[in-house]
Amino acid sequence: MMHFGIPSRFWQMVGQAAGGAARQTATRGARWTVVRPEVLLRWKLAYKVASAALPLLEARGAKAYQVAAIRCVLSDFADAYLGRKPCIFTSAFVPTELVYGLGGVPFLPEAAAGLAAAFGLAARSLFACEALWYSPDLCSFHRAGLGGAASGLLPRPSAVIVTSHLCDGGKRSLLHISRLAGCPFYMLDVPYIPSDRATRWLASQIEHVAGDLARRVPGLSLEGLAQALHRSNEALAEYERVSALRRNVPAPWRGSEALNYVLLFLWSWGSPSLAPFYRALRLHLERTIATGDFPVRDERHRLLWLNLRPYYDTRVFKHLEGDRASSVAFEEYSFAYWPSLDPRDPFASLAEKMMSNFGWGPIERRLEALERLVDDYSVDGVVQFAQWGCRQSNGGAAIIARELRKKGIPFLNLDGDGVDARCGTEAQAITRLGAFIELLDARRGW
Amino acid sequence: MGSTTTKAVLLSDGKLAGTHAMPTGVDLAAAADECLRVICRAAGVGPDRLAALVATGYGRDRVTGAARTVTEITCHARGARALVPSARVVVDVGGQDSKVIRLDDDGMVADFVMNDKCAAGTGRFLEVMAARLNVPLEEFGMRWRRAKEAARISSTCTVFAESEVISLLSRGVSPEPIIRGLCDAVADRLAGMVHRVGLGGGLVMTGGVSRNEGVRRSLEEKLFAPVTVPEGSQFAGAYGAALIAFELGEGAEMLPTFGRGCR
Repeated sequence: MMHFGIPSRFWQMVGQAAGGAARQTATRGARWTVVRPEVLLRWKLAYKVASAALPLLEARGAKAYQVAAIRCVLSDFADAYLGRKPCIFTSAFVPTELVYGLGGVPFLPEAAAGLAAAFGLAARSLFACEALWYSPDLCSFHRAGLGGAASGLLPRPSAVIVTSHLCDGGKRSLLHISRLAGCPFYMLDVPYIPSDRATRWLASQIEHVAGDLARRVPGLSLEGLAQALHRSNEALAEYERVSALRRNVPAPWRGSEALNYVLLFLWSWGSPSLAPFYRALRLHLERTIATGDFPVRDERHRLLWLNLRPYYDTRVFKHLEGDRASSVAFEEYSFAYWPSLDPRDPFASLAEKMMSNFGWGPIERRLEALERLVDDYSVDGVVQFAQWGCRQSNGGAAIIARELRKKGIPFLNLDGDGVDARCGTEAQAITRLGAFIELLDARRGW
Repeated sequence: MGSTTTKAVLLSDGKLAGTHAMPTGVDLAAAADECLRVICRAAGVGPDRLAALVATGYGRDRVTGAARTVTEITCHARGARALVPSARVVVDVGGQDSKVIRLDDDGMVADFVMNDKCAAGTGRFLEVMAARLNVPLEEFGMRWRRAKEAARISSTCTVFAESEVISLLSRGVSPEPIIRGLCDAVADRLAGMVHRVGLGGGLVMTGGVSRNEGVRRSLEEKLFAPVTVPEGSQFAGAYGAALIAFELGEGAEMLPTFGRGCR
């Protein structure tokens, strides 16, 4: 089971609360009744128990930022599954400030797919998606998200918002989800080439979507939009300090853990829980640097990690960070690429945020961002996790590899799958990473 | 320790003192022990007198007493370079995977790619097909030469390819064109990988499948380039490990046998 660096017993508990195998012994006979995760996730009591357990966790050694992250997830899941707020499904890279600002709660099926994989729940969702005749070639984050919606594992959306940029599978699978739920579907059409006119065009779409949602979905209004942008800026300020601290050599945070929190990074901008989480994380990193208690002992190499990671149980990172003493110093998807938002002009500001995504547009934009990260984080090599079925990320791999090598930065294309363990080969991944580290060793004459 | 065969190479004063190969079987640790015992006995030395032992291959972690484990990518690069000093691209096809390694001017690994997600393009693919055709793998080269044309094996999946072979046999196609088609299918995969790391300089083939003349000739046809298969190519990975062990045991001296570029 994936863990966020928290004792595994806690995750067993959270796993049970959030959808694991809670069992009850029937009073008559020795029959076991398994509480299905989709039922458990809709129990108010499950969230109360999980929330009550958080202080206990901290007392038993969990870090404050880890508890803050769980609080963040529990709050949104309770809002979504218990119907406390209108639940708006979005694809990754839709600015979630819009949803929080309207008074709703965002839900990202593809990020939830990562969580499902961590808790061993992805297989059922993948089967459910395949039963809908979707090809296994579709990215497993979307297959698990769609299968989860079809099988009732996900909450019921009041509306769906997707964006046209970066990921192609997301908008199509979410369109299907909106049809299943019978709810409104909105797509933000992001122009390919940035310009003032393009930003205005996108801003007008966001404004239209926000206005339409406020009219059509009970419980949503535009009143909280500026406040959500304020909260996003507050979190961004904390996050930039976190990112600056992560430049430290050796790395003050395990990259394998940071890759778990990418899901929050995609999900929670505009949430009141995000700034406290990053604040707690910042304090933890400052303390780590001050005490010198770094997670990867005698760090030999620093890597930049592109795309996501396998979220199911895997020995890959134990091998990398333990046996090979190499850190993932930073992750492509942890890069906060946008400027501070302007709460007085929220729609233009959110449009600006979307347009500034370095993964959109010509490959040179992504390359420029990656080269900057390589320099900022003193990286020795770049690993691209080639997620099965991800055209967006894998499409540019050859060019990125070539350009990085020109600058003397080795590049590894690591095939695998973030959600569907059937599509990844652990032994091969370990051998490839091992050989890559040996290549880096040889460059240093070790 | 390969998936199919366990190999050992013994060096004495940097020179080849013995080789041994045996089936890996299911007990990897026992296979490693046995291989080591046999090669030491043949050379007249006790295993306790080895200066250093380096393990490689997919079973490398099961070798007891290894001073270091090194991936087969690094070891094949070292071994191939030592066997063929002009080597720049190494194509290693083993039982369960295949890799293409580009070497820099100093013989170090500059880049590599491995086959992904599928057994096609590996030794196992050929083993399955040989069993289906009832033709020993050793005869593939001779049969390849006899074939006037290659049957089209459209699938790149071992399981589906096997059903294609059955279909071809049921249509009365003789084994020779099927064998040539199978070698072409493996070579197709390998050629794509070679182009990913960049074709240029001496091209060397190692691993068990390098002994298969049919695959080598198909690869030459696909790449329009000669492929060198050195003597003892199936031992290249073990030889590379032995070279690393020699450095560990003797202290990073250049090897007199192969000279510059062996590191």
